[in-house]
Amino acid sequence: MSSILKSLLDWLRSLFWTEEMELTLVGLQNSGKTTLVNVIASGQFTEDMIPTVGFNMRKVTKGNVTMKLWDIGGQPRFRSMWERYCRGVNAIVFVVDSADQAKLDQARAELWSLLEKPLLSTIPVLVLGNKNDLEESLTVEELIEAL
Amino acid sequence: MSWKKDEDGDELGALMSIDKSAVLQEARIFNESPIRPRQCRLLLAKLMYLLQRGDTLTTTEATELFFSITKLFQNKDMSLRQMVYYAIKELSEISQDVIMVTSSLMKDMQPKSDDMYRAKAIRALCKITDVSMLPGIERFIKAAIVDKNQAISSSALVSSYHLYGRARDIIRRWSSEVQEVLSGKNSSSGMFSFGSSNSSPSSNGIEQYHALGMLYILKQNDRMAVAKIVQNFGSSSRGGWEIKNPLAHILLIRYAMKVMSNDPSLFNTLCSMLEEWVRYRSEMVSLEAARAICSFDSAPQKLVSSAVSALQSFLTSPKAAVRFGAIRTLDSLALKNPKAVQPTNMDMETLVSDPCRPIATLAITALLKTGNESSVDRLMKVMQGFLTEITDEFRTIVADAVRNLCVKFPQKHSIFLTFLSGALRDEGGFQFKKSIVEAIIGLAKTVPECRETALGHLCEFIEDCEFSRLSVHILHFLGVEGPTTTMPSIYIRHIYNRVVLENPQVRAAAVLALAKFGSAPQSDGKLRSSIQVLLKRCLDDRDDEVRDRAVWALRFIPDEPKRARYMRDDSTYSMQALESRLVDYLADSTNNFKTPVSISSVPKVSREQEIKQKSQKSESTGTPLLSSNSNSTSLNTGISDISSPSTFNQSFNNSTNEEVLSELRAIEEFESFGEPLVSSTHSVGLTEPETEYTVSLYKHIYSKHIVFQFRCTNTLNENKLEQIYVDMTCNDELVEDSLVPISVVPIDELLYNEPKSSFVAFERVNSVDDDPNVEFNVVVGDFDCELKFKVFECDPATGEKLDPEDTGFEEEYSLESFDLVESDYILASYIPNWKSVWETLGGSEEKEANESNEAFRFPSYSDLQSLLDNVAQILGMYPASETDLVTKNKVAHQAVFMGMFMGKIQIIVRARMTFAEGSGATLDLCIRSEDSAVRELVMSLIA
Repeated sequence: MSSILKSLLDWLRSLFWTEEMELTLVGLQNSGKTTLVNVIASGQFTEDMIPTVGFNMRKVTKGNVTMKLWDIGGQPRFRSMWERYCRGVNAIVFVVDSADQAKLDQARAELWSLLEKPLLSTIPVLVLGNKNDLEESLTVEELIEAL
Repeated sequence: MSWKKDEDGDELGALMSIDKSAVLQEARIFNESPIRPRQCRLLLAKLMYLLQRGDTLTTTEATELFFSITKLFQNKDMSLRQMVYYAIKELSEISQDVIMVTSSLMKDMQPKSDDMYRAKAIRALCKITDVSMLPGIERFIKAAIVDKNQAISSSALVSSYHLYGRARDIIRRWSSEVQEVLSGKNSSSGMFSFGSSNSSPSSNGIEQYHALGMLYILKQNDRMAVAKIVQNFGSSSRGGWEIKNPLAHILLIRYAMKVMSNDPSLFNTLCSMLEEWVRYRSEMVSLEAARAICSFDSAPQKLVSSAVSALQSFLTSPKAAVRFGAIRTLDSLALKNPKAVQPTNMDMETLVSDPCRPIATLAITALLKTGNESSVDRLMKVMQGFLTEITDEFRTIVADAVRNLCVKFPQKHSIFLTFLSGALRDEGGFQFKKSIVEAIIGLAKTVPECRETALGHLCEFIEDCEFSRLSVHILHFLGVEGPTTTMPSIYIRHIYNRVVLENPQVRAAAVLALAKFGSAPQSDGKLRSSIQVLLKRCLDDRDDEVRDRAVWALRFIPDEPKRARYMRDDSTYSMQALESRLVDYLADSTNNFKTPVSISSVPKVSREQEIKQKSQKSESTGTPLLSSNSNSTSLNTGISDISSPSTFNQSFNNSTNEEVLSELRAIEEFESFGEPLVSSTHSVGLTEPETEYTVSLYKHIYSKHIVFQFRCTNTLNENKLEQIYVDMTCNDELVEDSLVPISVVPIDELLYNEPKSSFVAFERVNSVDDDPNVEFNVVVGDFDCELKFKVFECDPATGEKLDPEDTGFEEEYSLESFDLVESDYILASYIPNWKSVWETLGGSEEKEANESNEAFRFPSYSDLQSLLDNVAQILGMYPASETDLVTKNKVAHQAVFMGMFMGKIQIIVRARMTFAEGSGATLDLCIRSEDSAVRELVMSLIA
């Protein structure tokens, strides 16, 4: 009897406390966005991925929080569409491949142009330096400097 | 579920008042989080309704919407999800950046996704994808094609069908998967339970239908492969493929028909298949098979009768559609083969009173075609009864049937005429009235006895005719036929009434008709002067054209030679040739339009020939009214593809002279030669018709040159030829001296079934004496030819070489030898007013006759027709219209041929032939031409 009561309570609580969040992941191609989403959603790490054409959407439920992850393709042809998916979300995650120094300049330019968008001015942006397990990756400070 | 009903009712009312801007406003709810599936779904439905209604979205609006809709992706609500796929498909044409959803759709079409979504996702994906992305999803689509679920398999097939136009090369690689579906190896489960929104026909084996259509477009250029597909199905009892779907079966029958008409060797095998199918349990299939059999003229009698008996049993079917299909097929068969249809007459009689009027109409027309004279009266009476009850379309069919009947039973003309004139008085549209008028005109032409009555009816009709075009047509006919009747003056009254009452267009036609009366040789002086009076009254007409025509007519009516020249000239320009000249002129921008098109370069033909050409054209392109939409049951986009190969073959086989000439004109080297004076109208085949490469020869004579045009066709689709030219050697020394080779124009590359021409040019010089007049030096001789070329293997589909490094290997191919003969120098051309030319050339008291006479005796001929044919062939000249009629067992015949030597000097040949049993045929040839050398030349042809 108590267990039934408990589950009922749990359910009631979830009804009130469930929070739905939307996150948008952007970043240059091959920075690891889709892999990141996969890791978050299923905990599996798969090394080689085909480039995302367009976007992927994943819903992840952790505890009481349901996160909607919009993973947008990073190839140049999709960059103009980032803004559309960033509008109205709770947070933007800008993923940077910290090991690929050649593309850093490009990443900075894209990040700045994203930040300049007036519609997105109130949304928090997290810059995520990915692939820091690789030897040639930059440290956090270096990355901040570069961007 | 009661709430749903209410909602539907509300929605229907609401749908009427939907407007675009409101929907676009509301579209903001797509962006809300969390998503409200029901609202979103309704809004999407409204949006789709708008699009279907014909409202247009701008690109920005569509893009905005599209991206909002993408936010709804992967929602758990099943109906919403299906709506999203649908919306994406609809917006894919107008919105930008639709490839954005590629990844998401790919995820949905993976095998691990729900079956319900997979089929829809495949369709949407194929709609948004571009060709460059296709290799990425190729693997998935191939897997989907052979999927066990028939909805998935079908949607993959149909999608690839649509993609085929854009990405032939990729999709061609999928043929083995398609074939697998077709063979039915992946036995489809057919078990899937879609939501209420799904209305796809879940009858078994629909994917086989799609697969068959798909495989056909993949293989349509390969006749052998198509034949193989069809045969594979035929041998189902011996391990071949089995047909599961009636639609697939019908498609198969259509392809079988195509194979049968392309490949006579398979005709008998396929005939027996068709016979089997006629007895098939499905009505649809049986009907189609019967229709296929009836469409072949050469089908064996036994087969036709089995088809007819199948159709006969359908005539009593309770379903109107089946009865209609059967009677329509019988009706069209009755036109070609009335005997075969006769056994069904009893059943058709009962259909005459069918409540469905179209069926009754077709039954009557079919009966009219098969019936004998005695039943005609009765049927006509029935028809008259309900003519007012049927639509114009069917009334036109009736009019056509009556027209055919007139030819069949000329002695019944009075009944027909009464019927037609009665119909003419009924209310009706233009097409109907037109076919009636044409029927009357046809009747007047074929049955001379009723001509005057027919003209009378027509006169009555134009008194009260609301269609100017018909009035003009009838006025023209009156002008042609009226003057030769016994009482021309009665028609003149009707015609002049038009001048008084009608609009300018009809008035002008009436004036012209009057002029024809005035200028006809039959008219006497009195009639002529009254016509002139009438025409003078037209001089103060308000319309320019009417006045002009009257003035013009008044000028030539009193003057006999002018009358002959303007009103009785029966020649006209070849419209085809004129058109191609004008097209060339417009296409040729290098010339800057400096040299005008000269009308003298357009050959003249007689009117009769032109009418003949026109009717040939309409026979080959025109389709009977009702069978034109017979294809509509096949796959919706595939129709044009399916019918195209046959038309292609047709145009290839009777490649018109104009095509050949325009190839010649495209060669710059020959421009300095001037215009060709004489070009052969018929090609000479230098190969057997069924060889790998076919070559046909055209000869072009210029004033100082000769060009031989070798038109080559490659009939092997896995070969590609390059550097093709013809090596000519002459067997006669004299000819070698008088023909100096100038140039050889090879064909760079020759692809499958695309005829191209190689040229060999010679200069004609005078070897014997120094006569500067090279033009009249007729060189004759025979030539041996060899075709030389390089062969490459190529991909049958694309025509690309298999191995780009391939240097090919040289090959020779010996052609049949041919003769250059005298008749090649004579242009077969119609000479306008040839009778007067003949008279002038015949000389008069002060002038010597320009004529040569000779008589020949041919004991070996057994009838006149073969002699006439032979003479016509040897002379290669234009036969005057009355020459081609030789009745059997006729003992004497006169034929006239005309032509222009070197396109300049007129020649007229009169051949009188007599035939007597025992002694053979005699030919008395009379040749008139200004140049005696030319006369001798022509005479030597026969001798």
